[in-house]
Amino acid sequence: MTGKNTAGSFPQGPLVAVCYVRLAMQEPLPAATFATDVLGLQPVPNKQALLFRSDDRYHTLSLVPATATSSIGIEVLDEAALDHLEEALRKDGFSARQASQDECRQRFVRSALIAEDASGNEIDLVLRPAQSGRRYFPSRDAGITGLQGVGLRSSRLKDDQRFWTSILGAQISDWAGDISYLRIDHKHHRIALYPSDQPGILYVSYGVESFDAIMQSHYFVQERQIKTVHGPGREPASGQIFLRFEGPEGTIFSYTHGLSDLEPGHRPRQFSAQASSLCEWGSECQGIPELQLAGG
Amino acid sequence: MIELMDLAYVRLGASDLEDAQNFATRSLGLQVSEQASKSLYLRSDDRAHTLCYFEGNSQDQTVAFEVADESKLQAAGSTLDALGHAVHAGTAAECALRKIKAFIGFKDPTGNQIELVVRPERSGKRYFATRDAGITGFSHVGLFTTNPVRDELFWTQVCNARVSDRIGDIALMRVNAIHHTVALAPGGGPGVHHINHQVESNDDVLRSYYHLSGQRVPIVFGPGRHPTSGARFLYFQGPDGMVFEYSVGVDEIDDEETHRPRQFGFEPSSLCMWGATAKRTR
Repeated sequence: MTGKNTAGSFPQGPLVAVCYVRLAMQEPLPAATFATDVLGLQPVPNKQALLFRSDDRYHTLSLVPATATSSIGIEVLDEAALDHLEEALRKDGFSARQASQDECRQRFVRSALIAEDASGNEIDLVLRPAQSGRRYFPSRDAGITGLQGVGLRSSRLKDDQRFWTSILGAQISDWAGDISYLRIDHKHHRIALYPSDQPGILYVSYGVESFDAIMQSHYFVQERQIKTVHGPGREPASGQIFLRFEGPEGTIFSYTHGLSDLEPGHRPRQFSAQASSLCEWGSECQGIPELQLAGG
Repeated sequence: MIELMDLAYVRLGASDLEDAQNFATRSLGLQVSEQASKSLYLRSDDRAHTLCYFEGNSQDQTVAFEVADESKLQAAGSTLDALGHAVHAGTAAECALRKIKAFIGFKDPTGNQIELVVRPERSGKRYFATRDAGITGFSHVGLFTTNPVRDELFWTQVCNARVSDRIGDIALMRVNAIHHTVALAPGGGPGVHHINHQVESNDDVLRSYYHLSGQRVPIVFGPGRHPTSGARFLYFQGPDGMVFEYSVGVDEIDDEETHRPRQFGFEPSSLCMWGATAKRTR
């Protein structure tokens, strides 16, 4: 993720980028320590909120009290596109409401439409998320290049696919079993839907600059007795190398490198419902049912 | 000066030949090129063999280097003789066992069994691995040394090896453009420290990590990356405790005239820049 904000030459839908994640935490303070000391994000000096940077944006992670709801923020192309999305969501029976001024301030955006997918995941569709004038300076040398995407739990997969594709204009890149990879730009995916019995953010994924960075963090988290739930591995559909590990209160964070660009004319492929469809190297996920495909 | 051109093969005594074959094919993934009653020849590239297990004492380990021709071989014999190394000229039967034209055997100052060979056989058929480990060939060996400074002098003054880098007093030495062909490792006596095969990609190193872990092959170091050669590596243990390495991305020294060996500290981060630590040392 760079400071640039170009739409690029790829066919552009109304969605531009995943721009932040808000995580509701029982205990935000230990989570904040994790965000800097383990993830290596840069804390944003702000007295009202626990905010963290991972790239040129003002913030990409916000730790909010458990009374709030976790959500992800997605930048929308312009006001006309946002108006259109609001109408389309309402027409299809999805909940969507204009964010109050306070809510916009808390999200560091000019305006926002707070929507819910069919499972009940809160999705903020936002305009003009804040950039920072200062360059990103990480807390540790994890090699983070930016917020890369999120994995969402989906308890109503078919309706959630409709929410993301027919209404929001994302496109399906591939499936692995019923896991659906969704793209909004030239990258293989920014959002992935994982069949589950509940809604929620499954993981938050940060791009890192190299394979070295992934492996260095593999040993970094191992030394700190942080549980690696999946990887180091390589996702066959997207080509990315990943490391997924546990954060506080059941959160999962990923470092990824090498997410592929999509070829023009790409048609969604169906990968078999086997562990090797999630990792071609042979790593298997420990303890997270959504990241385990039946079969070996 | 003894001009080593390349490694040729390693010969290892095996306490159980069947065990060795199982490991070499199912785990390491080499191709069996010939199975004799008391020995097993294995290929890793277009050479007829690069590893030979023979029924015998597992401490009986020999590393062979290719020299250009028989006159160079004779010159090497005289050099070693003059320095007081006992030199054994290979008999016809011994040559046949090694699939070479001629050889001499001697011991380096630590006592490692070294052979210098002429015209090692190539195979007309291409290499076809027993499992998809991505092996591209036998590439280097680690040799134990009881005195790293003395042995570095032997390999660089008596032979033509050049130091590419040092970790503490441990020299990584090349005989061609590849960063190192011989790596010294401190030990209590002679022996092969590890046997390296190159693989195609990073993916292969990690795939083998999971594959071998699944087979309960002891992983002794890695996956990791050497800051010296830049190679991504995995070390694992085979029969009779021998350690094998897969690696990819070994630097080439292309400025032979101007390259100066770098000095790395004798510490874990000089062996792995990712943070892996060796599980055991022999």
